[in-house]
Amino acid sequence: MSTTEDQKIHGILAEFRNPKELTDVAKKMVNSGYSKFDTFSPFPIHGMDKAMNLKKSKLGWIVLGHGILGFSIAIAMMYFMSVIDYPLNISGKPFFNAPAWVPITFELTVLLSAFGAVFGMFFLNGLPKLHNPLFNSERFKKATDDGFFACIEADDDMFEAEKVKALFQEAGATHIEEVYE
Amino acid sequence: MSKYQYVPEPALVKGDHDFSSLTRLVTDINLRETPKAWYLAMMGANALLMLMVVAIGYLIWEGTGIWGLNNPVGWGWAIINFVWWVGIGHAGTLISAILFLFRQDWRTAINRFAEAMTIFAVMCAGVFPAIHVGRIWVVYWMFPIPNQMAMWPNFNSPLLWDVFAVSTYFTVSLLFWYVGLVPDLATIRDRATDKIRKVAYGIFSLGWTGSNRHWWNYEKAYMILAGLATPLVLSVHTIVSFDFAVSMIPGWHTTIFPPYFVAGAIFSGFAMVLTLMIVARKIYGMKDIMTDDHMEKMNIVILVTGSMVGFAYIMEFFIAWYSGVEYEKAIFMLRATGPYAWAYWAMMTCNVFSPQFFWSKKLRRSVGFTFFISIVVNIGMWFERFVITVTSLANDYLPSSWDYYSPTIWDVMTYVGTFGLFFTMFLLFLRFLPMIALAEVKAVIPLADPHNYDEETNEYVAPKVEVPEPQSEKV
Amino acid sequence: MSHKPTITDTLQFPADSKVPGALFGVGAVGLIATIIGYFLDADQFFFSYLVSFTFFSGIALSALIMVMLHHITKSSWGVVFRRISESFTANIWIWAIFVVPILFGIHNLYHWSHPELLEYGTEEYDKIVSGKSPFLNSTFFIIRQVIYFAIWGFLGYKLHKVSVQMDETNDWGLSALLRKVSAPGILLFAFTVAFAGFDWLMSLDPHWFSTMFGVYFFAINFQAFWPIMILIVFYLHKQGLLTNTIRQVHIYDLGAWFFAFTVFYAYIAFSQFLLIYYANLPEETLWYYHRMEGGWQYLLYGSLIFRFAVPFLVLLNREAKKNRMILGGMSALVLIIHFAEIYWIAMPTLYDHGFSFSWMDITAFLGLGGVFFGLFFRQFKQNDMIPKNDPKLEDCLSKSYHQ
Repeated sequence: MSTTEDQKIHGILAEFRNPKELTDVAKKMVNSGYSKFDTFSPFPIHGMDKAMNLKKSKLGWIVLGHGILGFSIAIAMMYFMSVIDYPLNISGKPFFNAPAWVPITFELTVLLSAFGAVFGMFFLNGLPKLHNPLFNSERFKKATDDGFFACIEADDDMFEAEKVKALFQEAGATHIEEVYE
Repeated sequence: MSKYQYVPEPALVKGDHDFSSLTRLVTDINLRETPKAWYLAMMGANALLMLMVVAIGYLIWEGTGIWGLNNPVGWGWAIINFVWWVGIGHAGTLISAILFLFRQDWRTAINRFAEAMTIFAVMCAGVFPAIHVGRIWVVYWMFPIPNQMAMWPNFNSPLLWDVFAVSTYFTVSLLFWYVGLVPDLATIRDRATDKIRKVAYGIFSLGWTGSNRHWWNYEKAYMILAGLATPLVLSVHTIVSFDFAVSMIPGWHTTIFPPYFVAGAIFSGFAMVLTLMIVARKIYGMKDIMTDDHMEKMNIVILVTGSMVGFAYIMEFFIAWYSGVEYEKAIFMLRATGPYAWAYWAMMTCNVFSPQFFWSKKLRRSVGFTFFISIVVNIGMWFERFVITVTSLANDYLPSSWDYYSPTIWDVMTYVGTFGLFFTMFLLFLRFLPMIALAEVKAVIPLADPHNYDEETNEYVAPKVEVPEPQSEKV
Repeated sequence: MSHKPTITDTLQFPADSKVPGALFGVGAVGLIATIIGYFLDADQFFFSYLVSFTFFSGIALSALIMVMLHHITKSSWGVVFRRISESFTANIWIWAIFVVPILFGIHNLYHWSHPELLEYGTEEYDKIVSGKSPFLNSTFFIIRQVIYFAIWGFLGYKLHKVSVQMDETNDWGLSALLRKVSAPGILLFAFTVAFAGFDWLMSLDPHWFSTMFGVYFFAINFQAFWPIMILIVFYLHKQGLLTNTIRQVHIYDLGAWFFAFTVFYAYIAFSQFLLIYYANLPEETLWYYHRMEGGWQYLLYGSLIFRFAVPFLVLLNREAKKNRMILGGMSALVLIIHFAEIYWIAMPTLYDHGFSFSWMDITAFLGLGGVFFGLFFRQFKQNDMIPKNDPKLEDCLSKSYHQ
C-alpha cells in the first residue's frame, strides 16, 4: 500500500465478536446520532432492523407495480390476439374466454412480480457494485465467513475519526482500522 | 406419569460447529482441486448426454416416426418423461418457498441442493415439448411472435398454458436460486486465492458485502419470492394436469387431477432429493448438516404425499364407478385388469404401498431403506404417468381402433439420455457452487441468535429446554 | 438470555357467564320455529336444515383437522388457539344427534332414496341412479353417517381430553400420544370428509359427479374456519379475556392462514369449474348450468368476488392483517358468502326454476348455530382457555413478527 496521506478516507471499520455485540453497537451508533453507518455479517441477524432503525423496505410496492403490469400485459396480449386481430372459434367458446385465460394471466403476473422482486432488490441495494472501498481491507473478507463488522462512513456529518474509534473501542471492538477509498 | 416419552427437537446442525467451520465444510469443496472421481463421473454423465444428442439428432433428421407412437396412442414417452421430470422439479421450489413460509428451518440444509435439482429437472423436462413437435425449426410458433402468416397461438389450448407455465417456472426458480446463491458466492470469492476464481465468483456475487441494510431488502425479496413461488409451483403441475383433464378422454377428464398431480409431483420430487442427498452427503461428508433428522422429516413428507396420491387413486376409481358413465367405468377396469395391468400394479405398489412402510419410525431413520424407497417411488411415479397417458389412449371409445403401444429404442435412448443432461449439470453444480445454503444454515444455528448471549459478558450461552417433571394425575 | 414469558391473564372463562345459556335459548327458539315450518313445507324445512347443518359441521370438522395438523407438524404458532379448536372438536359426538333429522328427511332431500327409481321397466326407472344404488341407498347412507360421526367424535373427544390432561399433569410425554392419534386421524379424516361431502351435498343431484368434490368440500369449510377463529378471539378480547396472551402477532398468523386458504379455496373451486366448463360434457356441465341461471348465478359471482377477489386483494397487504377492523370485516364477509355458497350448492336441487329464500333458512341457521356455539362455550368454560403446560407454549408466547 502506498502512503496513506494522499488517499481519501472512506470510513472506520471495526470488528466485533458475535451477533449480540454487533446488534448492541448498531444501537449505539443510532443513539449517538450517526446516519451513514452500516453493519456487516455473514447472515441476516434477527432484530438488526430495529437496532439499526431501518425503515420498512419499499420492495413490496415495486413488486405490486410489476404484478399489475404483468396482469395487464397478459390480458391485453390475449385480448388483442384472439379477440381483435384474429378471432377463431375454438370449440364454441366465446372469443373472450375468461376462464381459459386465467392460467396465462396468472403466470405472467407471477413472472413480472418475480422480476420486480429480484431486480428491485438489487436496485435498492445498489448492486451490482463494481468497486467497494471496504474490499481494500484484507480483514473485511471475514464478513462473509464469521466476522461481524461495523463501519461509520466519512461522509457522515458527525464523522470524526477519533470519536468514532472511541465509540467502537467502548463497544468492545476486537479490531479497528481506517479504510481508504 | 404416562408411558409416552417427550423427545425434544433435535438440533438442526449436528456436531460442534461454529460459523467458520461451517464455511470451510461447505466451500472447501469448491476451492480444492478437482478430484479424479469427479472427472470419472463427469465422463459417465457426458456419455449419456451424447446418447441424448444422438437420439435427438436422429429424431430431427427422420421425424417422430422413429418413436413407438401408433394410431390411437399419439402421445407416448415424450409426454410421460416431460411430466415425470417436471414433477421431480417441484421439490426444490417447494422446499425453498412453502417450507420457508411455514418457518420450517430444517429446509436450510437441503434447499440449495433441491433447487439445483429442480432447475436441472425442468431443463430435462423442457427437452421433450421442444423436440416432440416434429418440425423443430418452427418451434417458435409456440410463442406469440408476429409472423408472416398473421397467426397467433391458441390461448385456449392447455398446451400453450404449459409453455407459459413451464417457462415462468424455470425463470422464477432460477432467479430464486440465484438470489439465494449471491451471499454464498461472495463467501467463496473472499476465500478464493487464485485469480480465475476471484474474478468469476466476484462477478457473480455482484459485490455483495453482507451489509445489514442489504440483508434487510434481501430478506424482504426472499419472502416475496417465496410467496410468489408457492402458488406458482402449485400452478405448474396443475396446468400440466390440465393438458389431460380439459380433454374428454375417459380417465383423463377428472376434476381431482390438479391437486392430485401436485401431490404426485411433490412426492416424486422429495424422493429424488432423498436419492441424491443420501449419496452426496456420504461422498462430501455433509452428515452434520444433512442429518438423519432431515431424512426422517422428508420421509414423513413422502408418506403424506404418497397417501394423498393413494387418496386420489381411490377417489378416481370410486367416482368412475359412481358416475355411471360406461367409458369411465371401462377405462378404470381396463387399467387394473387390461393389457397394461402390469404397469398399473407397478404404480400401485410403488406409489401407494411402498411409502406406507414409513409409518415405522425405525424405517424412516434407516438410510439404506430410505434410499431404496426413494428410487422405488420415482419408478412408481414414472409408471403413473405411463398408466395415465397410455391406457386411456390405447383403449378409448372405439374398441376397433384399440392398439397396444410399445416404445422403440429411440424412446428409451432419449429418456436415458436426459439423465446424462441431468447429471452433467448436477456434477457441475457440485463442483462449482456451494451445495448448502451456507448463509441460511448459519442463520438458524443457536449461535446466530443474539438472545443466546449473556447480557453482561456477551458470551454465548447455549439455550436449554427444561422438561418439567410430570405430576401424578390428580383426580 | 432467553426469558420465560409468563401468562398474566386469567385462564378461566367466567364460570357465571350467561353466554352458553343465551345461545342455547336462541337455539331452542330457532329450532322450534323451524320445526313449525316442517308442518308448513317439509321439503323447505329439510333443505334449510341441511344447509345450516353442513355449515356448522364444517366448522367442527375444520377445527378437528387444524388440531391434528398442529400436533403432527409440532407447530408452535397456534398453541394459544388450540383450546378453542379443541372445544369444538370435543362436542362432535354430541353434535352427531343433529344428523338424525337428515336421516328422517332422506326422502325429501335425496332423490335417489326413492325406491321406484330402481324398478326396471317402470316409468320412474332411472338407469344411472339404479347403477349407483349399491352406494346410494338409505341403509348404507345411515351406516355411513354413523361411521363418520364415530370417527370424528372419537378423535375430537380424545384430542381434547389428552390435551386437558396435559394441563393438569404437566406431562410433556402426552404430546407424543397426541401425535400418535393425529397421524392415522388425518388419514381417516380425509376419507370421511370427502365421503361426507359426497353424501350431504353432491348426492343431492344423484346424476352429477366430480372427483374433486371432497377436496372442494374441505376447501370451502377450511377457508371459513379462520374467520370463525378470528371472530372468537376478537370476542374474547372484547370481554377482556386473554388480552395479553393472544397478541396481535398471533392474530396476524390467523390472518395469514385465512389469506392462504382463501387462495387455496379459489384454486380448488376454479379448477373444478374450469375442467367441467372446458370439456362441456352434458353429464357434468348440467350441474353448473342449473346453478348459473334463474338468479343462482349471482351467488356464484358473489363467491368469486367476495369470497376470493376482495379478501385476496385486501389481505395481500401485511398491514391489513394487523388491522382488526379490516380482519373482522373480511371474516364476516367470508362467513356470509360461505353460507351463500353452501346454499348455492344445495338449494337449486329444490328450486331449479330460480332463486328462492325462506324464513326457515334463517331460523334453522339461528337454531343450529345457537346450539352449536352454546355447546362450544359450555365446553370452553370448563377448562383453561390455553393449553398452559404445552411444550410449545413458550415458543408461541415469545413469538415476534418476522420480516
